Amino acid sequence: MQQYILRRSLLNLLAIFFVVTLIFLLLRIDTGHVVTMRAQQTQTASAEAEEAARQQVREDLGLDKPLLVQYRTYLWNLVHGDLGESFQAREDVISEIGDRIGPSLELGLLQIMVALVVAVPIGVISAIRQDTAIDYVLRFFAIALLGIPVFVLAVFVLTLSAQKFGYTAPYTDYKDLLPFPPFATEEGVGVWNNLQIMFMPAIIGGLGTGAIIMRFLRSQMLEVLRQDYVRTAWAKGLRERVIILRHSLKNAMIPVLTVVGLLLGIIVSGNVVLETIFFIPGIGLWIVNAIGEYDYPIVQGVVLVVAGVLVFINLLVDITYAWLDPRIRYG
Amino acid sequence: MQAGDRQAQPAVLAAPAEWTLPKRPSVAANVWRFVRRKPLGTFGMLLVIVMVAMTLGPPKAEFGTPELPDRPLGFELGKPFMAKYEAQAVFRGGVVNALIGPIDQWLKPSTQHWLGTDRGGHDTYSRMVFAARRSLFIGLWALTFATIVGCTIGVVSAYFRGWSDTLIQRLMDSLQAFPALLLLIMIISLFEPNLTIMAIALGFVGVTSVQRIVRGVVLSTREEPYVEAARVLGASDLRTMVFHILPNIMAPVIVVFSIGLGTVILAEAALAFIVPESVPSDPSWGIMLNVTRDSLPPEAKGYHTVAAGGAIVLAVLGFNLAGDALRDVLDPRLRVG
Repeated sequence: MQQYILRRSLLNLLAIFFVVTLIFLLLRIDTGHVVTMRAQQTQTASAEAEEAARQQVREDLGLDKPLLVQYRTYLWNLVHGDLGESFQAREDVISEIGDRIGPSLELGLLQIMVALVVAVPIGVISAIRQDTAIDYVLRFFAIALLGIPVFVLAVFVLTLSAQKFGYTAPYTDYKDLLPFPPFATEEGVGVWNNLQIMFMPAIIGGLGTGAIIMRFLRSQMLEVLRQDYVRTAWAKGLRERVIILRHSLKNAMIPVLTVVGLLLGIIVSGNVVLETIFFIPGIGLWIVNAIGEYDYPIVQGVVLVVAGVLVFINLLVDITYAWLDPRIRYG
Repeated sequence: MQAGDRQAQPAVLAAPAEWTLPKRPSVAANVWRFVRRKPLGTFGMLLVIVMVAMTLGPPKAEFGTPELPDRPLGFELGKPFMAKYEAQAVFRGGVVNALIGPIDQWLKPSTQHWLGTDRGGHDTYSRMVFAARRSLFIGLWALTFATIVGCTIGVVSAYFRGWSDTLIQRLMDSLQAFPALLLLIMIISLFEPNLTIMAIALGFVGVTSVQRIVRGVVLSTREEPYVEAARVLGASDLRTMVFHILPNIMAPVIVVFSIGLGTVILAEAALAFIVPESVPSDPSWGIMLNVTRDSLPPEAKGYHTVAAGGAIVLAVLGFNLAGDALRDVLDPRLRVG
């Protein structure tokens, strides 16, 4: 087990190194936009002054040095936890990410919660009542939800709720979204306000993810229900409840957990979309705005943090999986 | 007894004159079987066919839709390969009316404008047709790119195994660690809005999944007796890969291609929806949906939203259903979930 964890961790370190290198190379493809944006911040009168300003910016950002030297500086800063400061706001990217990651994490966790709460009972019912009317109805809804993309569903819901019911979620500054202490008495702050903002995107995103999990859980349950030990459990005269929940569901959930790990990438992408549509001030909305303004330290920082976290979570999922099912390690 | 059998054999083998080989089922019979066995898949195929047909010819001018260029799927017939597709933004009521006077924005559906008009007074149906061309153009280009690169990587990686395989697979893992949407937004924001760049970026993101599936199939194919036979006969590695392995993994590749089309079209719409300023601005379903979200006036009814969103849903649904059915027919091994 230790050897397995060590090997997986080393491979993941390699993966993170590739991620870092890839981002470095991508952002060096075309640096013209960045230089122009920075140079425009200083007022210039003539063409020569403008060119001088551009040259100054190139020197400031280290873009005049050879690529390998830039790469070394970049890695050095990264190892020391320095992601640079944003071009527009001139704030430290790392601490900004810390400020804004809260709402994104909350939305992601709520989505997973909604997905599991919806998918597990439906998947189980659909499997134990295979090929009955209720199975067909549930599967039809799952396919329909898979077919409707998150952003289309979100726009439908928003348009409908605004036009028919005149309801829109309150707007909150990101510093007020997760207040401390949570039960503040001020107007527009606190848990109730937070949930009002979060419930629509969480349900919409969670249903889409839930449909994938439900289909997978159903096929896993169908396989487990045909196992010999389940038949033995029936023959022993155990109650249906015990057989389904304790003997079958527990075993069917193991592969489902890995799928949830793999779905995290989809959930992060979904977060970007949902935050943009519902104006939730998390890192998704932030990065979309930053890209529009060619604010590369932010883009680079967010992508790095997200990719790093995803790689780490995948490592955790792999280890959990190997721990739950020892056969994996020998495969 | 044995001798008698041996003597009887020729008599058995010589077929009577009226015997014929079982006839191959005709194409029509095959199609009919597919329709009966896979009703959902047939529905998906129909949606795809309608989408392609919509883009093939100009809609009738008398229905209020403008002159669409005779360029099916974004490239002119007779040109060697897909030439770059440029939308000629000549819409009735569009630019022209904006110059002359008030524009007919947010009109209701009528015989003149099948799906009404949008914010700029453009006919929604003709914009949908243009957008379908753009989606197909990007989808085909992206998938072509992803399939060629993914097949090469997958086949080479699985054929040679060993440390190069490990290295390539870790590299692909790190690519997959990126949330696809963030990577896409990052890539396209680096360049001027350009359809070809967008198609390549979408294909680049799709390479990882294509190569993973191809690699899995090749890992089992390379152990087949006919591959071994080719090696024994002294075929080089390249020859074995191109002439013996590649033709035998075509079924999964076709399946990946058809399922990938739906995904790529969806990703393109999502991109155009989220960062409309970073994508080419000719009609796109994503941009149309974004416009209805941004500026649908309260008195306008919801069908403008339904038109743009419905196009995306139907196209993605069509490609997914058709792809699923194709997978069941061509390669049941790939079935997951």
